[in-house]
Amino acid sequence: MIPIEYFLTFGTILFVIGVYGVMTKSSTIVVLMCIELMLNAANINFIAFSAYGNFIDAALGQVFVIMTISVAAAEVAVGIAIVLNAYKMRKTVSTDDLDTMRW
Amino acid sequence: MDATVITDIFGSYSPIAPMIVLIIGALLMPALYFGFKKKAPVSAIALIVMVISIAINLIMLTGANYPAEYASFEGLFEYNAFSGLMILLFQTVALITLFVSISSTETTTLHFGAYNALLLIATVGMMFIGEANDLVGIFVGVEAVSISSYVLVTMKRCDSRAAEAGVKYVVIGGLSTALTIYGISMLFGSLETLTLSELGPALAANGYSWPLVIGLICMIAGYGFKIAAVPFHMWAPDVYEGSSTPVSLFLATGSKKMGLVVFFKVFLVMFVVAKSMAGFDIELIQYIFAIMAAFSMTVGNIVAISQNNIKRMLAYSSIAQAGYILIVMAVMSEYALVGGLFHMFTHVFMKGGAFLIVGALICVGIGEKITDYNGLAKRAPLLAFAMMLFLFSLAGVPPLAGFTSKFILFSGAIFDADGSGVMTQWVWLAFVAILNSAISLYYYVRVIKAMYIEKPSKDASGKIKIPNTFAIAIAVCAVLVIVLGVYPGPILDLCADAAAALI
Repeated sequence: MIPIEYFLTFGTILFVIGVYGVMTKSSTIVVLMCIELMLNAANINFIAFSAYGNFIDAALGQVFVIMTISVAAAEVAVGIAIVLNAYKMRKTVSTDDLDTMRW
Repeated sequence: MDATVITDIFGSYSPIAPMIVLIIGALLMPALYFGFKKKAPVSAIALIVMVISIAINLIMLTGANYPAEYASFEGLFEYNAFSGLMILLFQTVALITLFVSISSTETTTLHFGAYNALLLIATVGMMFIGEANDLVGIFVGVEAVSISSYVLVTMKRCDSRAAEAGVKYVVIGGLSTALTIYGISMLFGSLETLTLSELGPALAANGYSWPLVIGLICMIAGYGFKIAAVPFHMWAPDVYEGSSTPVSLFLATGSKKMGLVVFFKVFLVMFVVAKSMAGFDIELIQYIFAIMAAFSMTVGNIVAISQNNIKRMLAYSSIAQAGYILIVMAVMSEYALVGGLFHMFTHVFMKGGAFLIVGALICVGIGEKITDYNGLAKRAPLLAFAMMLFLFSLAGVPPLAGFTSKFILFSGAIFDADGSGVMTQWVWLAFVAILNSAISLYYYVRVIKAMYIEKPSKDASGKIKIPNTFAIAIAVCAVLVIVLGVYPGPILDLCADAAAALI
């Protein structure tokens, strides 16, 4: 059987890639995609823990994953709409140009 | 009133009865606006729904004979004194917001039905957090609030700042969601439970481990974004400035309190229980929260001094207020929690009132700059006086509500709760907080000086007539700010019950 560390390491790598993307990318769409990566890292953690742990309620982690997937879908739907709205108003989706409000 | 009135109607669903009413209302809103094509009837129905929900909650909270077998809904949601009080707080915020949204010139006209529906859904999310019994409920509740408030922020008429604020809010909110969920997954893996009441014993049994520490850090950061505590505060001023003022009010008074409720329900309960179980050492965590609190107050207040936009100034001041309430997390005693809950209540009225005045003045064409407020006392004496009350209350000048709640909150940090008169180790935190109150008085008085001493500019003269709904809401807030200051008894009793129910 594959040890649980493999899954957790995979999840961590995904999470760190996501954080890196959020911190460095200037396109808002890419930032939203990186946030999805981070959410999926957490999903992998949940599934791994619920498969390997000895829980009274084994479905708990899986239920949480379903919640996360639906929340992530809603979040991206709203996020893309808001980015589109910003594009309509400002003709840009770059985080560097959305800087009229500072400090 | 007898609480069996509610349980007779809703049966085993009575713990979530206030939410059921609001959800039905929220689903009706867009259809109603599609049918009526007018703002007034839709707004009236939304208000009626909200008032029904408040009435149900008040009967359940204060009425006699609430049956114990109906306290919990399937073990997922639990109604007790704490959740009842928090639901009341969120409902109050939503009521004020709904009430003024109709006459504000900033809120959307085209999508007014959807606007009301989202406001109600966000309130429902907050209320579910008040009752949630496990981390699943808390996570989904927080997301319901966040996702609807992203849209609420962007729904502003003719202002490209709102679009920008929306993008910033979505990105930061998404980041905080991802951090939170990763933290919860680590916590789940190391403690093997998601039920709030079992987290503490599991923590005491397992002790600290690397996954647990990573999980806690991620969760504190993620929910720290929601309450806009330093260093997770960057989004708050932009979003409050960009969104329409009723929405800023909703975020500053409602959404922030939701984050604090999460802190109380998850971290406070977890660490207090773990400490009581096995003499578990929680001092390090207390210091983390204490430093967060101290930095939130100091950064919030100092940056607020240099602001020229009044909405940004109020946003920074609410970062500082979150810092004051985080003292509860550092002290972790029941007495401090009573003060924290009471301060959350008074903050709704003083910060809400200040935002209401800003919103009302925007409706009559006065800008958001502090210099736009020059000579306001001549043009609208009552409004200027109310603004002075709210700002003094925020600074903590007696006998207003802000003074009373700060007094209780800070004294919780100074003396031990057992009444022995022994000073705690958190005296320095109370000292920092009092020093910060003095700093905050400086920038609040700057607005008061503009209103009372500066001369108005040539083109701005004549009396100001603000919309009636704003006038009523401001009057209610002003009265409550005075009443809660001199007669805090009833609400303080409710806070004491709530704190006892939580810890």
